[in-house]
Amino acid sequence: MGGQVMDGQVKRRQGKPGKALILFAALCGSALLCRMASAAEAFITDQTGDEVSVLDLGLQHVVARIPVSGKPAGIAMAPDGRRAYVTSPEGKYVSVIDTASRAVVTKIAMPDTPLGIAADPAGGFIYVAGFYQPRLYKIDLKAGMIAATVEVGASPSGVALTPDGTLIVTADRDDNQLSIIDAKSFTRKGTVKVGTHPFGVTIDPQGGRAYAANVESNTVSVVDLKAATLLGTVAVGKRPYAVALAKGRGFSTDQYGGTVSVFDLSTLEPVKRISVGDYPEGIETSADGNSVYVVNWFSNEVWTINADTLAVTAKMPAGDGPRAFGTFLRETL
Amino acid sequence: MARNIGKCLLITLAFVAAALPQAGLAHGPSRQKITETITIDAPPAKVWATIADFHDMSWLPGVTKTAGAGGNEPDVATRQLTLDNGATIEESLYKYDAATMSYSYRIDKVDVKVLPVNNYSSTITVLPAEGGKSTVEWKGAFYRGYPNNDPPAELNDEAAIKAVTAVYRKGLDSLKKKVEAAK
Repeated sequence: MGGQVMDGQVKRRQGKPGKALILFAALCGSALLCRMASAAEAFITDQTGDEVSVLDLGLQHVVARIPVSGKPAGIAMAPDGRRAYVTSPEGKYVSVIDTASRAVVTKIAMPDTPLGIAADPAGGFIYVAGFYQPRLYKIDLKAGMIAATVEVGASPSGVALTPDGTLIVTADRDDNQLSIIDAKSFTRKGTVKVGTHPFGVTIDPQGGRAYAANVESNTVSVVDLKAATLLGTVAVGKRPYAVALAKGRGFSTDQYGGTVSVFDLSTLEPVKRISVGDYPEGIETSADGNSVYVVNWFSNEVWTINADTLAVTAKMPAGDGPRAFGTFLRETL
Repeated sequence: MARNIGKCLLITLAFVAAALPQAGLAHGPSRQKITETITIDAPPAKVWATIADFHDMSWLPGVTKTAGAGGNEPDVATRQLTLDNGATIEESLYKYDAATMSYSYRIDKVDVKVLPVNNYSSTITVLPAEGGKSTVEWKGAFYRGYPNNDPPAELNDEAAIKAVTAVYRKGLDSLKKKVEAAK
């Protein structure tokens, strides 16, 4: 998930660096403007607060609050950052948010409790997991309706896509497996057994590996997507929720541990455990790969970790009960 | 006729499907959290000494017996609380830090009729307060007793919050009385 958005944003930036730089040079009359120019935003699903709070990561405070009822939990940021898609598990719908105007522009009704969500890099579809049935739904954004459905394992939680948009992975929590789905035919190609109760799943920017956080076994499973095999298992802190990738390392949010466990992606050995806020949940790497943002559900904060030094560099307030389960970052330019 | 039977069967099946309870301990509902605090007129070390033993819950009204094993060792220690109505709650310790005067535990087994929650975890911490006093902070995270959609009133989010809040309030008030009376 992190890889997909990260990749999209990196591509977008690389597409027009000259133009953007000239624009910056022209605009940068003040230090403040320069600072804002490099800023990004986090769209945080505040589940208890029934809203999505928009956190300016440069200014380090909430700049907008968008009411979204139904206990919003999952979020997928469109790769171009213009839309955020939010699941409301208790409202059974997906809200489409216009990120610039901070407004819900459409609500898409779901036949089942939606939780995990991912956005197709080409912009035409979103993929939403229905928790009870259990199915993955392909939603045509233009038509605003379900275009296809595929059966997955029990209690599908996290959903992630390869950066090229060809494969979708669901973490089937109660079946202790990942389902690998072909996006085009929308059929399940296979399953891979992982640890106990996988919740969040993240695919690397190469589209080769999936990392699943196993809540009950306190591990992260590393899966080769092409071969559909388990490559390895990493011991992390207690009750891991989701995984981010940065600088050749994995970062898991450990809910009960109150930590982020850092591990090496090549050796799969633990590197460090970083103390964060209470019940960390959503986690994502910035587009430039330098920062990892950690959403702390109990303490209502978003913390920034420097991906190189592994030091905590910022603590920012969010709304009540922030989860941000999925991809929640966008660049503002 | 055959078509009508088919139609009738479909409708019946739809009703049956709708009436079936959702399987498994799934968490469609959202997790709840509460924090209750109290200020106690005693130094933190003294307050901590009263609650530091994971196997002594005598300071919590309604608990008649605490049994268990594993001392204060995280991931090892377990305890069984017996309540005055005879019900029991099984808990395990997953974090313990005497230096910061804090420990965390979860409920492994409880009847929702006793405490209407699922997947409950909790942290209790003693913090220094102004004037040499202490603040005790008791935090809980849990799901409601009914794990699926459309819960009955006694097992909904409000019921879970109300029940846990009542336990914390009762416990903290009693702890304050006990510690302050002992000085």
